[in-house]
Amino acid sequence: MQEEIIEILEDINPEVDYKTCTTLIDDRHIDSLGMVSLVAELEDAFDITIPAVEVVAENFNSAAAITKLVARLVEEEED
Amino acid sequence: MTSYFTLIFLVVFLPLVLLAYAAVPKRLRGYVLLCASYFFAWCISGPRITFMLISTLCVYGIARAMDARIQKRDAQLAQVKKGKREIKASCKHQLNQLLVAGVMVNLGILIALNYLGFFGELATAALGLLGIHAHFEFPRIGAPIGISFYTLMAISYLVDVSRETIKADHHFGRLALFLSFFPHIMEGPIARYTQTATALWEGRDLSAQNSYRGMLRMAIGFAKKLLVADRLNLYVKTIFTDYASYDGGLIALGAVLYTLQLYCDFSGCMDVAIGLGQFFGAEYPENFRQPFFSRTTSEFWQRWHITLGQWFKDYVYYPVSLSKPVKRLTTKARKRFGNRYGPLLVSGIALFCVWLGNGLWHGAGSQYLFFGMYYFVLIWLGGFIEPNARAWAADHGIDRERGAYRVFRTVRTLMAVFVGELFFRAEGLEAGLAMFGKMLSNFSLASFADGTVFTLMSKADFAVALFFVAVVFIYDTAYERGFDVRKMIEEKGFVLRWAIWIAIVMTVVIFGAYGFGYVAVDPMYAQY
Repeated sequence: MQEEIIEILEDINPEVDYKTCTTLIDDRHIDSLGMVSLVAELEDAFDITIPAVEVVAENFNSAAAITKLVARLVEEEED
Repeated sequence: MTSYFTLIFLVVFLPLVLLAYAAVPKRLRGYVLLCASYFFAWCISGPRITFMLISTLCVYGIARAMDARIQKRDAQLAQVKKGKREIKASCKHQLNQLLVAGVMVNLGILIALNYLGFFGELATAALGLLGIHAHFEFPRIGAPIGISFYTLMAISYLVDVSRETIKADHHFGRLALFLSFFPHIMEGPIARYTQTATALWEGRDLSAQNSYRGMLRMAIGFAKKLLVADRLNLYVKTIFTDYASYDGGLIALGAVLYTLQLYCDFSGCMDVAIGLGQFFGAEYPENFRQPFFSRTTSEFWQRWHITLGQWFKDYVYYPVSLSKPVKRLTTKARKRFGNRYGPLLVSGIALFCVWLGNGLWHGAGSQYLFFGMYYFVLIWLGGFIEPNARAWAADHGIDRERGAYRVFRTVRTLMAVFVGELFFRAEGLEAGLAMFGKMLSNFSLASFADGTVFTLMSKADFAVALFFVAVVFIYDTAYERGFDVRKMIEEKGFVLRWAIWIAIVMTVVIFGAYGFGYVAVDPMYAQY
């Protein structure tokens, strides 16, 4: 799952090392326009819905955090 | 007492509040701050502070109702094994209804007090265009101080309770203090409930360390306002009220000086507000982060009035962007225009809402609407240009983050900001357009050569203002490069750090723009 997420991230901004970066939002590697694209891509790729309340820095600061969020939402969709 | 920048606030109000705060038991300190805050607001707004109380009562009641509904849902979920989704959906629906009611009441008060006259003028003009002669005029009641700030804080609190990211506060006093605390009521920062509410109500002991931090921060704020902002007002006020008498060169300088004035005034007030909070152990969020180092207008708004930008991002931009109809549109646009441009095109809807709101939030006037739309266009178009500029720079081996190209990006952004602030400060859209027109068609440096510029502000005032602008620039540059100047001062020995504080205060006393020959300028953002 994480590799697929990194591919999506690289498509949005290729200038970041997503394997190590843990400040994607804090350091503005992903801006609000990029965030909308990212959410749309993630929703399509994993068949989930990401509500606005989940769009916070702690869920999107790293590829690992995004993976965790997506895994949780996938699980909730299955419930 | 009209603001923090009055003698009565500094030598009577603040010391009395600190004394009372320290004298009463810990459990009563929150009440001391609450009474002080309402007294401060009363001194400025009189009986109109009733509207602040009404908003607080409304927000408190609705959040409690939300809380009761959430508890009912949790009890229902604990009892069933099937049908959980329906129970959650029903609860969500009712929370949304309560949220809409709460937002409508708060926005309704704000609109009734601040915008009805403006909307009446717009309606009269619109009907006039259709040949219908009608005249809408509404009585002007006047708004209490800080209504634009505490209304946004109240809405953010309600949204956060409905999203269940925070729990509804059962203590009315704590919520009332969160909304009305006197340091932020004039100009913000627009804090979130989790950032200040608990800390303020806890009644933390006054400490030597926090008091020094607060006093240093306040001294820096006073320096920015009295050494730079209020002095530049001499030039700015004349050029914006009598622009027809001056050429484009002087008007262009007016736009630059107004931007500096606004920055030093507003960020100076934020220093004072944050410093006051530090006395009582509350850490308010920063509202500025060296905005003049921005590379794009979008970045500028991530560094200027940060708490307002974040509010609009969290409570307008993302909710609109991620709403079902806009998401459906995004999906269609992505298929048609690709992964980058599809979402970008649709994001225009959310950006438009943000900048319409941002413009109107600043005031009821056509120039503010224009200001909002100006940034909407710049930031939206910037989104389309950015990937192409990045690709172009990569193809040509240009490092966009260093050297001449980095300087070019900053200068270009500053030019856009100066133009935006020209329209923002102009006395109406018509005046803004006329000033901008003169800047383009009647630009001349003759007024600088023949000394006309010094009829607007004396050479001595120019020299003092520019010297302290340079000091502010060096101070900001240090922060930009990772040197926390304030922290470095705070960590010095007792004698040195108090010597620095006294030096700042003495500089303000000696060189401050107050008294004979100067007009006291109220904090500029307090009018919004």
